[in-house]
Amino acid sequence: MRNFLVARLMQAGIVAMVVGALCFLLMRVLPGDAAMRIAAGRYGPDARIAEAADKVRLELGLDRPVLLQFLEWLGGLLRLDLGHSLVTGAPVVDELQVQLGASVWLAASALLISLLIGPVIGVFSGMKPGGITDRTGLAGAVVFRAIPPFVLGLILMFILSKQLGWLPPAGFGSPREIVLPALTLALGLAAMSSRVTRNSVAAVARTPYFAFARHKGLPEAIVVRRHGIRNAAIPVVSYLGLQAVYLVEGVVVVESLFAYPGIGHALVHAIVERDIPMVQGTALVMGLMFVAIAALVDAISLWLDPRFGRAA
Amino acid sequence: MSTIDNVSPARGRARLSGSCASGAALLFLLAAFALLGPVLIPADPAAQDFSASLAPIGGDYALGADHYGRSLLARLAHGARLSFGLAFLTMLAAAVPGVLLGLAAAWRGGWTERLLELLATVVLALPGLMLVLLLLAFSPGNYGPLFLGLSLTLWVEFYRVTRAATKTVLAQPHIEAARMLGFGSGYILRNCVLPVIAPTIATLAAFAMATAIIAVSTLSAISVGLQPPTPELGSMIVELLPYYAEAPVHVLLPAMLIFLLVLGLQLVAEGDRA
Amino acid sequence: MLRALFITFALGLAVTNNSAHAQVLKVAGPWEVTGIDPAQTGYVFSRLQVAETLVTADPEGKLIPALAERWSVSEDALTWRFTLRDKARFHDGTPVTAQTAAASLKRALSGVGVLSQAPVAEIVSEGRDVVIRLEKPFSALPAYLVHFSTIILAPSSFDASGKVRQIVGSGPYKVTSLTPPAKLELKDSGTWWGGKPGIAEVSYLAVGQGETRALMAESGETDLVFSMLPVSVDRLKENPGLDVKIATIPRTRILKVNAASVFFDDIEERQALSYAIDRVGITKVILRNPELAATQIFPPALKGWYASDLPPLSRDVARAKELLAEAGWTPGSDGVLEQDGKRFSVTLLTYSSWPELPPIATALQAQLREVGIEIKVSVGNSSEIPARHGDGTLEIGLVSRLYSIVPDPVGTLLQDYGPGGSDWGAMGWDNQEIQGLVAKLAVTTNPAERAPLQRRAVEILQQELPSIPVTWSELAIVSSKRITGVQVDPLEVNYGLAAIRWAK
Repeated sequence: MRNFLVARLMQAGIVAMVVGALCFLLMRVLPGDAAMRIAAGRYGPDARIAEAADKVRLELGLDRPVLLQFLEWLGGLLRLDLGHSLVTGAPVVDELQVQLGASVWLAASALLISLLIGPVIGVFSGMKPGGITDRTGLAGAVVFRAIPPFVLGLILMFILSKQLGWLPPAGFGSPREIVLPALTLALGLAAMSSRVTRNSVAAVARTPYFAFARHKGLPEAIVVRRHGIRNAAIPVVSYLGLQAVYLVEGVVVVESLFAYPGIGHALVHAIVERDIPMVQGTALVMGLMFVAIAALVDAISLWLDPRFGRAA
Repeated sequence: MSTIDNVSPARGRARLSGSCASGAALLFLLAAFALLGPVLIPADPAAQDFSASLAPIGGDYALGADHYGRSLLARLAHGARLSFGLAFLTMLAAAVPGVLLGLAAAWRGGWTERLLELLATVVLALPGLMLVLLLLAFSPGNYGPLFLGLSLTLWVEFYRVTRAATKTVLAQPHIEAARMLGFGSGYILRNCVLPVIAPTIATLAAFAMATAIIAVSTLSAISVGLQPPTPELGSMIVELLPYYAEAPVHVLLPAMLIFLLVLGLQLVAEGDRA
Repeated sequence: MLRALFITFALGLAVTNNSAHAQVLKVAGPWEVTGIDPAQTGYVFSRLQVAETLVTADPEGKLIPALAERWSVSEDALTWRFTLRDKARFHDGTPVTAQTAAASLKRALSGVGVLSQAPVAEIVSEGRDVVIRLEKPFSALPAYLVHFSTIILAPSSFDASGKVRQIVGSGPYKVTSLTPPAKLELKDSGTWWGGKPGIAEVSYLAVGQGETRALMAESGETDLVFSMLPVSVDRLKENPGLDVKIATIPRTRILKVNAASVFFDDIEERQALSYAIDRVGITKVILRNPELAATQIFPPALKGWYASDLPPLSRDVARAKELLAEAGWTPGSDGVLEQDGKRFSVTLLTYSSWPELPPIATALQAQLREVGIEIKVSVGNSSEIPARHGDGTLEIGLVSRLYSIVPDPVGTLLQDYGPGGSDWGAMGWDNQEIQGLVAKLAVTTNPAERAPLQRRAVEILQQELPSIPVTWSELAIVSSKRITGVQVDPLEVNYGLAAIRWAK
């Protein structure tokens, strides 16, 4: 257990360094004048951007050597200071708290809803490949996968807000407002996870030990619980772990459709506006979150199938 | 493998191979539409005619016209060629390295696996959206960076699932036994590993193509996708979206094509087994 | 089962919340609060009546008192004196003194707001007066003090280093909570010189997506929604529970052309470009209002700047082709014009900050192709236009230009058509006459003296077409029938929330 933790901490450290350096480098080599982008981000498209950019350049010292700026960022990082956003002027930590916080809530809600839908349908579909459940599940999965999330969101908004008046179409802050964006994300997610689950259950159902358990005359439910779910769950957990990351990163259009101040939206703005500290901070925190999620996924896989640890 | 045949109900099997055939037929039709459509349909997908703005389906325009009065049939055909082509290439560029690296990691273990895991972790830890946006910033509106960025984020999914599934298979006692008995790695891969991971990979590949198309549409929704007047299924949806109340079917037409593609892929992916 | 569970859940939420929000005026608009420096998002606080400027404008554009109850200018036109209201108080209870107002203005002067473009020598306070001394006469100065970057903030708004930490203004509403970039909650400040606002609490949500804003109005969740998409306006008008108000705003979408490039250096080429554009079609299809077709640069609503007797800009494809032929362009094998082996193929740069620009660019692309001009559309960031203007590589750009950045269009003209042009104005086009006219306008206050100068300036712009007007703009506001007293401010200075009341 201790080895596991130490390895994970080291991994986190490496990831943080690599991600930070890579972001810095990439943002630096992007074509175009960063000061212009920042000025446009700050003062909007009606302002005299060229003049504002000159002031921005002076204020932020964008002309200083690149290495110096990177070392400054690293120094700040050691003091747990991610710097200030170049566009809003607010501390990056504060912005992340609001936006990443909002995204984590959204992602968690979406994951929860999708877990109620996807794997359940998947298990039933996988038990009887080709049955009614399997076919309906397939059709559903394909529909929700083929509709772009913003169209799905708009349809849900149209039905649940405008026609039925149950939920507010947009906003954030109360549980009522999170339902629509979470549901939009969850349906797309459930579409995928139901099929992954279905295949993995179907694969397990074909294995000799599973067939043996059945032949032994054990009731179906017990067979599934004892032998099916555990083995089938490994690819599913691995897959869901990945999806969790996609979610935190935020399906940016869903956020902007529902006026939800998530990290995806913030990240797009930060990249377009060349807000380097914000991009670095976001990438860093998300990278670390990913390491945490990956550790969790591994721990769960280990618990599901102890042989995993031996092989690794 | 005889046990498996015993387990799966014969009825389901017959129907599934039927669905496999219908999936293949569907894919064939879509491919024909995407490849021949642009050649056979004389209308220019970029030609505008404001007097035909949002023309209904079945009138002068077989599938109606968009808000600029451009033939939707022509745009769908050109869009299908571009979107399906791009999606297929992206999927291939993600799946091939992903699966190979996943197999290598699970098979070799040790340092190979550790290094690959680190690489995958770093790529995953970098927000995918950021990777695509950064690459696009180098040459906005072009296919190259779009394609590269999407493959770069998608391969990890194949890698991780392949590795996890392969390790489960390799850890099973009868395979461990087979390895110890000296069966060649090729034999074990072909007969024990591939049959287990193939369906999952096929499903992933089907969905990866959908993901690629949806990702391009997402990018055009935030105005960083391909440039007008390129007909691309995802960006067509985005363009038509404001008109959803007046012409809902027009908006859904490109989505319909994506649906048929995913359905066909899915039928083939899931149908050829059991 | 799951579905039933979910529905119960959703219903439960719906029931518990419906009664609670009846007291708050819910407002939605497209603008996000990115940073709270007045030069960045002062307009949000000015429009929502949190902070005030010294001078403001009525819907016709006439300057009227705000924090300053009157103003005057000295004989030599170099000293302006703004006398503050007695009763004005900031939200923290401190009085609005000439000293604090001068401090806010000095800050604006040294920043990137419009004030830094006026010839201001110094700003001081004398008793209840804010005194602004100029380097040279400048008649538009009071108009500059309407701009949102000159809002007057209490000293408690700033931290030790002079950065804005919070917005403590003097308007009818004070900020109770701000969650950047999307949410702002306001409450009756209790300190406003103009009395109590009709509705005590306001909640503002930034909603970027136009479709969402329309649905927010339609679902009855939001009482007042700004900036509706043209396509949804007709649908909203039919809704019995909603009121739609529309005002023409002094914003024109123009083609900014590089008059120094080989493609647009001749007046004939620019005129041909103008003749090739189907303005009525574009406004009908994309903006859903053919009256927005820009027959000249300023819209009729801009009194004194719209010349009704000027020949309107219109479409004439044959004439366009003729003019291009006169300028030496001949059709090549694929129909695209050529001259000395150079194809008439240009990149049109535009940006998506305004959602209608890329669709208009797409329409222009097809229309210009008809006269043999090949256009590649590139949708980028708004900063690319000034950047490419700066390095001279811009060929043609579609931009949305606001002529009421200060209520007097002279402010914008000074920049756009002055020597060397500007980011959003002329490029590679120098016209001595218009520069003289605008300079004269800047020092003239008498409307009778100004009228002929304004008219001549518009005439030159119409003939020379340094930038080619495409469409005018309008602002659509939707309000629920639950409220009354909604006004539209075409200058978007102040949305008059304080005057709104619950309908009986």
